[in-house]
Amino acid sequence: MIRLENVTKYYPSALGKQYIFDNVSFDIPSGHNIAILGSNGAGKSTLFRILAGSEYPNKGRIVTDLHLSWPVALTTGIHGQMTGAENARFIGMINGVADLDTYVNRVRQFAELGPKFDLPVGTYSSGMKPRLAFACSIGIDFDVYLIDEVTSVGDAKFRNKARKALTQKSKTANVIMVSHEMDELRHFCDSAIVLHKGQLTFYNDLEQGIAQYQAL
Amino acid sequence: MTTIIKRNNWAIWRDVIFALFVREIRTSFNDRLGLAWAVVNPLVFIFALSYMRGRMSGGETHTIPTFEFMMYGMLLIQLFLDVLMNSSNAIKKNKALFAFRQVQPISSIIATGAFYFVVKLAVYLLVLVIMYFLGMEFRIDDPFFIIINAVALWLIATSLGLIFAIAQCYVPEISKIQSVLTRPLFFISAVFFSMQDIPPEYWHYLDWNPILHAIELSRHAAYNTYSNEAVSEFYLFGSALVFTFFALSVYQISWKQAISR
Repeated sequence: MIRLENVTKYYPSALGKQYIFDNVSFDIPSGHNIAILGSNGAGKSTLFRILAGSEYPNKGRIVTDLHLSWPVALTTGIHGQMTGAENARFIGMINGVADLDTYVNRVRQFAELGPKFDLPVGTYSSGMKPRLAFACSIGIDFDVYLIDEVTSVGDAKFRNKARKALTQKSKTANVIMVSHEMDELRHFCDSAIVLHKGQLTFYNDLEQGIAQYQAL
Repeated sequence: MTTIIKRNNWAIWRDVIFALFVREIRTSFNDRLGLAWAVVNPLVFIFALSYMRGRMSGGETHTIPTFEFMMYGMLLIQLFLDVLMNSSNAIKKNKALFAFRQVQPISSIIATGAFYFVVKLAVYLLVLVIMYFLGMEFRIDDPFFIIINAVALWLIATSLGLIFAIAQCYVPEISKIQSVLTRPLFFISAVFFSMQDIPPEYWHYLDWNPILHAIELSRHAAYNTYSNEAVSEFYLFGSALVFTFFALSVYQISWKQAISR
């Protein structure tokens, strides 16, 4: 379980504080693959970043004993001047991977970047970077994967591969996912959290959540 | 599958700082000049300055060879300025990496600071080697004390860098003020003059500056004949301690919000 305790989060702006969450307490149940639904700017990515510990709420805290991934978005933590292999190694080191060489090799195989894997990421095309980012995260065993739109990029072949890998993972781990493509969500998730006006609502049935979200 | 080592906090810190340090090595010298630039740049300055000063006062400056006189001034001020500039940019530069919860801003400051310390230490040793092969005579009477001086100066630079880096997260314009503030340091820190060039009644205009203390003390440590009358090690170490304490306090209360904006 991931528990949000009295979480308040705002961003300062020229128009004063823009509240994303105001004193929200919420339990995200374990054992579900959850889709996060909400309109643009509802705070989906912010929620992700707070859950992952990339950002901190202004008040309140997140309590969990689960091992969460970083928010795997398009190019999180990938450095343009380092090669794909070096980036993978760096991410492995930070996350405490025991056998770095094996890990880098697994990323190499999964990302299928060919010789480009040993070239600086700055030379990659826009579809190749997310492949690397996704391969890096799927190569590590987490309890919960936080996936932000990544599976919807790349060519058809890679999307298939990513789907398979993530489906495989979701047997032993859970996925929390942000995507605007409902097919994508239907494929991975069984339940939903709808984010609206700073309030979170959990729906045990994904379809119910989607219906609710589309009615907003 | 991938085994994750269960690490305690210290081990995570160590791994992260090491990973950032390696990353720093990999990305800092990425242009064609690469690492050579880090050595050539201060060398050119040292030669130019000691040539000018040498014309004025001959081969020796207050009992120490002019070249070494300039070397300590130049390397230490560059150590200070490089560490300050790069560590104060470290949080902004590594912002994307804080997505990994293991990476905290202070790790990136420490890794950056440590990297530039190592670079300057390597340049120092290299200059000594070059002097040896050129047949120039040099003495280092108290090598231990030189290292301690450099570490104290490094602590001050890193602490200031940390404070500026945090401040920049809240007020980005701080970086402009910082460059205005640091520019005069080169001219008032006894880089190319000695306190002995200045009458004692004017010392109080300059001796508030711990960088000046570090430079003059290092010259004294290399050549015991060089006077350290105007400076005090107590002041240098005291400043290092105060700056470190202050910077860590500022960091402790503000780092989470600083990266959450």
